[in-house]
Amino acid sequence: MSNLNGKGLAEDRLGPAVAHYVRQPGDEPPSQDGPVRAKQRTKYGQIATALIAITLLAMFVASQAGNPNMEWGVVAQFMLHPVVLGGVGVTIELSILAMLISIVLAFFIALMMQSDNKVASAIGRIYVWFFRGVPMLVQVLLWYNLAVLFPTILGYSTNSLISGFSAGLIALSLAESGYMAEIIRGGMLSVPAGQTDAGMSLGLTRGQALRQIVLPQSIRVILPPTGNQFIGMLKATSLVSVIGGSDLLTRVQLIYGQNFKILPLLIVAALWYLILVTVASIGQHFLEKRFSVTQPGSRLARKKKPRPGLASLATKGDQA
Amino acid sequence: MTVTATTMLKVEGVNKWLGENHVLRGVDITVRKGEIVCVLGPSGSGKSTLLRCINHLDPVDGGLIEVAGERVGYEIRGGVLYEQPERAIAKARQHIGMVFQHFNLFGHMTALENVVYGPVKILKRSRKEAVEKAQGLLALVGMSERASSYPSQLSGGQQQRVAIARALAMEPRLMMFDEPTSALDPELVGEVLTTMRKVAEEGMTMLVVTHEIGFAREVADRAVFMDQGRVVEDGPARDVLDNPRHERTAAFLRRVR
Repeated sequence: MSNLNGKGLAEDRLGPAVAHYVRQPGDEPPSQDGPVRAKQRTKYGQIATALIAITLLAMFVASQAGNPNMEWGVVAQFMLHPVVLGGVGVTIELSILAMLISIVLAFFIALMMQSDNKVASAIGRIYVWFFRGVPMLVQVLLWYNLAVLFPTILGYSTNSLISGFSAGLIALSLAESGYMAEIIRGGMLSVPAGQTDAGMSLGLTRGQALRQIVLPQSIRVILPPTGNQFIGMLKATSLVSVIGGSDLLTRVQLIYGQNFKILPLLIVAALWYLILVTVASIGQHFLEKRFSVTQPGSRLARKKKPRPGLASLATKGDQA
Repeated sequence: MTVTATTMLKVEGVNKWLGENHVLRGVDITVRKGEIVCVLGPSGSGKSTLLRCINHLDPVDGGLIEVAGERVGYEIRGGVLYEQPERAIAKARQHIGMVFQHFNLFGHMTALENVVYGPVKILKRSRKEAVEKAQGLLALVGMSERASSYPSQLSGGQQQRVAIARALAMEPRLMMFDEPTSALDPELVGEVLTTMRKVAEEGMTMLVVTHEIGFAREVADRAVFMDQGRVVEDGPARDVLDNPRHERTAAFLRRVR
């Protein structure tokens, strides 16, 4: 009958070592900086990779530094040449304009795709399917040769309206809007459906809830891929060189068409694209940081602190 | 069923299908002004769908829903219900407060802005008036000190209290609560129930879907038990909860306790 006195079976099985620890005030861990230190394993693989990379790079530099075809002097001469700088300006202008237009278009397309209106939704999807499906280069050529299909637009000669720049701008904007529409739609889908419900329960229509509640919250999801798209756009503008868009690559090609210094001038172009992309990446980094750390739209709360009279009431409420 | 001037919510013969599922099979519920009614029932019995149908977040397939004598979402012409234009439905929803299981506070706004948003953007009140009122409501729910916090910085219980203030700011005729404590850690349930008690003391008409039997017994005037899309039992809260007359209610209450 030893089981009935409360310590028969359990004690046999677990032994007397089952202790019930209760932390007492003043209980500290036995040692916080004892003599035992942990040391990480040496990363031999990383050291080996670095050595190999440095060796290969050094060999490449050594072989090319003295290569007469590189003509670094020519690179230096044309790096800040007014014609090249003008091309850099056109490339920047084209990228920013195309990106802005495509974001505006994509915003409407995304709203259409998300709409309850099934026809609008289908039109949005077909739009994305087409402009994302046809290669950008083909779209650039299509717009440049628009005059074949429509000799006049609103009474003006198509050829006078469509220059290399404008055809390039239209093609890049439309192609990009297909991608951006999908990015914006994905961002809107990332906001929980409950947000729309809550907005509608206050008295918003579905469209108002999408624009005023869902869209602002989707920006943090939309922003990083948009930065990537912009970097892609900076490089995609080089496609307009096939229709003489007077961008960076077009002008570099014009120059080496005359002086035959092909490689040095391509290096000028490559360096400029790298500079633009680097600046854009840094901008993207700061933009993302700003949107992830601080929440937008807190004007009111920052200006107005709760009044002390209400704060004391609140403490009572918290305790209740 | 006689409709008196004091009827705040009238639900009559509401039917709702979700795909192949007959979720609501002719539901009748009447709530008088100032009354607090708790809706109980196993999951899948249609309680939440009923609330979503009442403010027309989901359309019904038939039946009548009236809040303060006004039909929500439909107008009747020649014996057929026609869905209203979206703006009219949105306007009808303004007067029906809803508190969600997952709070659904607007994540890009502070607690105060969440409460100010509706009155300013939808009721077109002046910002000053709305802010003053919001501060009063945040005090009521005990959240004044966290007015400038974002939802992500608040506990679930705190978020739910702000959500209650946000719904109250629209001066609703009816407040609906959809399992307001089901998503909370056990130790946070109490603060939300306390807040709901306060709202009840203010004389608000409340329709509460909940599993908190204690709250229902203490605060509710009436309890409605739903099962498989039907109202199975409807009566004074203590009667229904302590002396259930339908076997389904009794079985459910035995399991919940």
